[in-house]
Amino acid sequence: MFDLLHDPFVQSSALPLIISVLAVGILHRLAPGRVLALAGIGVTFLIVFALVVGVPALPPPSSMGKLFWSAAGGLVLGVAADAVGVQGRAASVLVAAWLAAALVWIALPALDSAVAVLTVVILLAVGGVVAFGHPPDRTGGAPAPAASLLALALAVGGTALIGSSASVAQMALALAAAAGGFLLWNWPVERHGWGVSGQVALGIAVLLATVLALFTQTQAAELLLALPALLAGRLRHRLPLPETGFGRAVGSAAVTILAVLPALVAIGAAYLLGGAEASPY
Amino acid sequence: MKKTLFAAALFVSAAVGAVAPASAAPVAYKIDPAHLSVAFIVNHLGFSNLIGRFNAAAGDLSFDKDAVEKSAVTVTVDTTSVDTNHAKRDEHLRSPDFFNVKEFPKMTFKSTKIEKTGANAGKLYGELTMLGVTKPVVLDVTFNKEGVSPASKLETVGFSARGTVKRTDFGMKYGAPYISDEIQLLIEAEAVKA
Repeated sequence: MFDLLHDPFVQSSALPLIISVLAVGILHRLAPGRVLALAGIGVTFLIVFALVVGVPALPPPSSMGKLFWSAAGGLVLGVAADAVGVQGRAASVLVAAWLAAALVWIALPALDSAVAVLTVVILLAVGGVVAFGHPPDRTGGAPAPAASLLALALAVGGTALIGSSASVAQMALALAAAAGGFLLWNWPVERHGWGVSGQVALGIAVLLATVLALFTQTQAAELLLALPALLAGRLRHRLPLPETGFGRAVGSAAVTILAVLPALVAIGAAYLLGGAEASPY
Repeated sequence: MKKTLFAAALFVSAAVGAVAPASAAPVAYKIDPAHLSVAFIVNHLGFSNLIGRFNAAAGDLSFDKDAVEKSAVTVTVDTTSVDTNHAKRDEHLRSPDFFNVKEFPKMTFKSTKIEKTGANAGKLYGELTMLGVTKPVVLDVTFNKEGVSPASKLETVGFSARGTVKRTDFGMKYGAPYISDEIQLLIEAEAVKA
C-alpha cells in the first residue's frame, strides 16, 4: 500500500482523483452553498504537492516552492472571496491581481533574456484570459470551466512529461485529476456554480506552465495550442441538445471532450517536436 | 659588559632560531580544471549505482604542507555541466526536479576546517551550498603527491576526496528514496602553484 502511494502514476491520477472526490464532497456537505466545494480542487493540488514534492520552505528558494505558496495564497483568497460572495468583474480583477503577482514572483529569476520576457508577457495575457474569460458566476454551471481546467492541466502535464520535468508533469496531471473529481460531482447533475476558487485553480495551471516554460528545457510554446480549451464552454449553447436533465448531462460530457481535444493536440505537437524518449530513472 | 650581554642575546636568538622549525605560510594554488574530477554515485531503485559527473568546475587551494590545518579550499561547480551519459536524463537532472540549474547554476564548497588523521590522510570539513541551501559536509581526504609535474613542469599537489551527502537536506527531494537520498561524492584534483 505504501509502495502504491509512491507510484508516480498513482500520485498523478488515482490519488488526486480520490482526494478530490472526498474533498469536494466534504466541502459540499460542510458548506452547502454552490461554490465553496470548488476549493476541493485547490486543496487536492496542495495535498498531492506536499506528498510528492514536499512542503517547500518559507521563504521558498525555488520556483516550485513559490508555485506552492502562490497556490496556497490563492486558495485562501478564493475561499474568502467565495464565502463573502464576490463574483463577476470584481472577482475577475481579484484573480487577475493574484495571478499577475504570483506569475511575476515566480518568473523574476528567469528574466534574463528577451525571449523570457516575451514568454512572461504571453503568460500574463493568458492569465488575463483565464481571469476575465470565465467570470465567477454563482448561478452559472461549473462543468464548462472545470473542463477547461482539466484540459489545460492535462496539456501542461503531458508536455512536461515529454520535456523531462517529472515534478511539473505530476503536479499538472494531479490538477487535471482533481478537476476530474470535481466534474464527477457535477455529472450528470450540475451541483455547483463557478467561483473564485475555481478561477484560482485555472490560475494554478498557468503558474505550472510558467515554471515549465521558464525553468526547464521544454519547448513550452506548444502549450498555446491548448488555449482553445478555454472556449469550450461557449460552444455548449451551440450544441443542439434539449434543456432537460439528459441534454445537460450530454452537454457537459461534450464540453469536456471539446476542451480536451486542443490539449491532446498540444501534447501531440510536443511529442513530435520534442522526441518520444522519456527520462529513464 | 654591554658587549657581552649583546653577544649573548645574539647567540641565544640564533640558537633558538636554529632549533625552532621555520613556520611555512600557506601557499596559494589554483585547482587545474583539466585534472579536476567531480563525480557522484547514486543508487537507482536498488538495481544499480549510477555514476555521474560535473564537467565544469574550478577552485582555489591554500595549502600549508607543514601545518595542514591552516589550509583552505573553495570549489565552484557548474551544475549545468552535469553528465550521466544520457541526454534526456541530464536534461531532467537540470530541471527543477533536481539541480534546477536555471535558478541555481552554481554549487559551491568552502572548507572550514582540516584535521590531519594520518601521514597523508585527513578530514576536510566544509560547507556545501546547493539549491540555495548551505549544509556542513565532511570529506575524507588523501594527499597523494606534491612536486614538479613532468607534464606541465609546474609545482603541483594532488588530492583525492570521498564523502556522502543527503540530497534531501538541500531540498532535492524528488524521487527519494527510490533514487537514493545518499549520494556518494568522488573528487580527484590537482592544483598548480599560483
